[in-house]
Amino acid sequence: MNGTTRDRLMLAIAIVMAAIYLFPLYWMYVTTLKSGSEVFATPPSFWPASPQWSTYAFVWESRNMGRYLWNSLVIAVGSVALISVLGVGCAYVLARYRNAWVDVGLFLILMLQVLPASLMITPIFVGFSQLGMLEYPRLAVIIAIAAKSMPFFVVLVRATFMGVPQELEEAALVDGNSRIGAFFSIVLPLARNGILVSALLIFMQAFGEFVYSKSIIQAAELQPASVGLNSFMGPNTNEWNNIMAYATMYVTPILAIFVLLQRRIVSGLTSGALK
Amino acid sequence: MKRLFSSMRDGLGFDIALVAFPLGFLLLMSGLPLVYNVVMSFQEVDMFSLGTFSRPFVGLRNYTDLFAQPETYPILLNTLIFVVGSIAGQFLIGFGLALFFWVNFPGASWLRGLFLVSWVMPGLVVGAIWGWILSGDFGVLNFILRETGLIDANIFWRSDPDYSLYAVILANIWLGTSFNMILLSVGLSGIPGDLYEAAELDGANAWQRFWTITLPTMRSTIGAIVALGLIFTLQQFDLFAAITSGGPNNASNVTQYWAWELSFRQYDFGKGATVSVVMIVFVMIAALVYVRSTRHEVRG
Repeated sequence: MNGTTRDRLMLAIAIVMAAIYLFPLYWMYVTTLKSGSEVFATPPSFWPASPQWSTYAFVWESRNMGRYLWNSLVIAVGSVALISVLGVGCAYVLARYRNAWVDVGLFLILMLQVLPASLMITPIFVGFSQLGMLEYPRLAVIIAIAAKSMPFFVVLVRATFMGVPQELEEAALVDGNSRIGAFFSIVLPLARNGILVSALLIFMQAFGEFVYSKSIIQAAELQPASVGLNSFMGPNTNEWNNIMAYATMYVTPILAIFVLLQRRIVSGLTSGALK
Repeated sequence: MKRLFSSMRDGLGFDIALVAFPLGFLLLMSGLPLVYNVVMSFQEVDMFSLGTFSRPFVGLRNYTDLFAQPETYPILLNTLIFVVGSIAGQFLIGFGLALFFWVNFPGASWLRGLFLVSWVMPGLVVGAIWGWILSGDFGVLNFILRETGLIDANIFWRSDPDYSLYAVILANIWLGTSFNMILLSVGLSGIPGDLYEAAELDGANAWQRFWTITLPTMRSTIGAIVALGLIFTLQQFDLFAAITSGGPNNASNVTQYWAWELSFRQYDFGKGATVSVVMIVFVMIAALVYVRSTRHEVRG
């Protein structure tokens, strides 16, 4: 067997495996295009007989999806902004020095990274309610998400800063820059890509966040799309084509970003999470 | 004052300021709730005493009550099954895929990256899709299993107490496999290639090379990934909320979902905090294993 045949064979097997793995996604998209009765056909059809595009408009209107997605966006953007402002400097300092204090800080950050949200929500909720924070539920959720996701961001961005040669910063200091000047004009631009990818990962996580939003936000007008999807799926639901249409409109933007920037996201993820 | 400012601009003060705010924020919003959680586990906290700080201390009553409840041990057992089943499935399939994609062929890295879509999707969406695939009467999984002759009658994955936990495990394996695979791929690519060349010259076959080179050199990576898998599995909440809600009759309930239910469905925050404290101890142990096995890399 020569090289090309082997390559083609491997590629074919890989494509088959990817197709099996991604079948649930295909099933989501196909179900959205089926009519109400075709959804329950036996045997199920693997290709819609007559695609029902109107399902999307119907679900968008009837479930108020614009509002839900807007709330998800507000929460995700707010979390990313707060995490970036706090996390970038922290990651920079932890990358620049190597001493016992840095080790303590890193250990602290790694330990706080692992606390499950569904276990932390009880004290956070009670504390927030005592402080009156529940009056601003979306802000409360943003703060809770920031506390949960910032350690992950710091670990990823720190790995990026480790890749910036310290000689460049030292040269800038010799040339008369202040520390702040060197940080903003030399270090930050060089680490820009890594920071953007990490921020994107945080954005995707926060866009799909559920536990905090479900527990803290009571008013339906302020709930994000994850909570909306949860209330759409009752225990005895049979509107699967509508639910899948909801899921499709929710997840397709994320999937599009991911497929476009896949290479960078994967390499950014692997550089920091584990080497 | 002037010295303070110039230190902020030019010296160590700059670094300390950069690191103090985020760490302060983390301690306030993550560390303090952790302590508060322990305090609440010794208190009686319900809807009425929620707003005040003067709540009755009840000593260890929450803990003794908890372990006297009939559902506690089944739920702990469910958690164990969920954790072991999920990690075993994610790790074995992920390792298989990582080994397959390790053979370099055109398009390998792109296709491998594509698997990660399961990981970036919102958990609720993954839960919704699997809820539909696993649906009893019209679910496509039952159809496939029937057609291939594996089952005779439909399995009601979500409402049959014998299967509901496995329905969530199945979805969780799908969700986490890709992440395991990517991390294992990184570990595999770090093994020096000349080790294999030398072994091949000595006449070792692929199986022997796997057991004598691949597994031993991957040992610390595998340790880290299993610990990370434990951490992620104990964080899994969305799939339970979307697929079974812990039901029927707690058959698929696990501690991290139960803790939330106690607090936000039964409004017994003290009990919820108690379950949380017990589980956080486990998570912390896993985190220690993880930090230990990645210590060298973290220090740089």
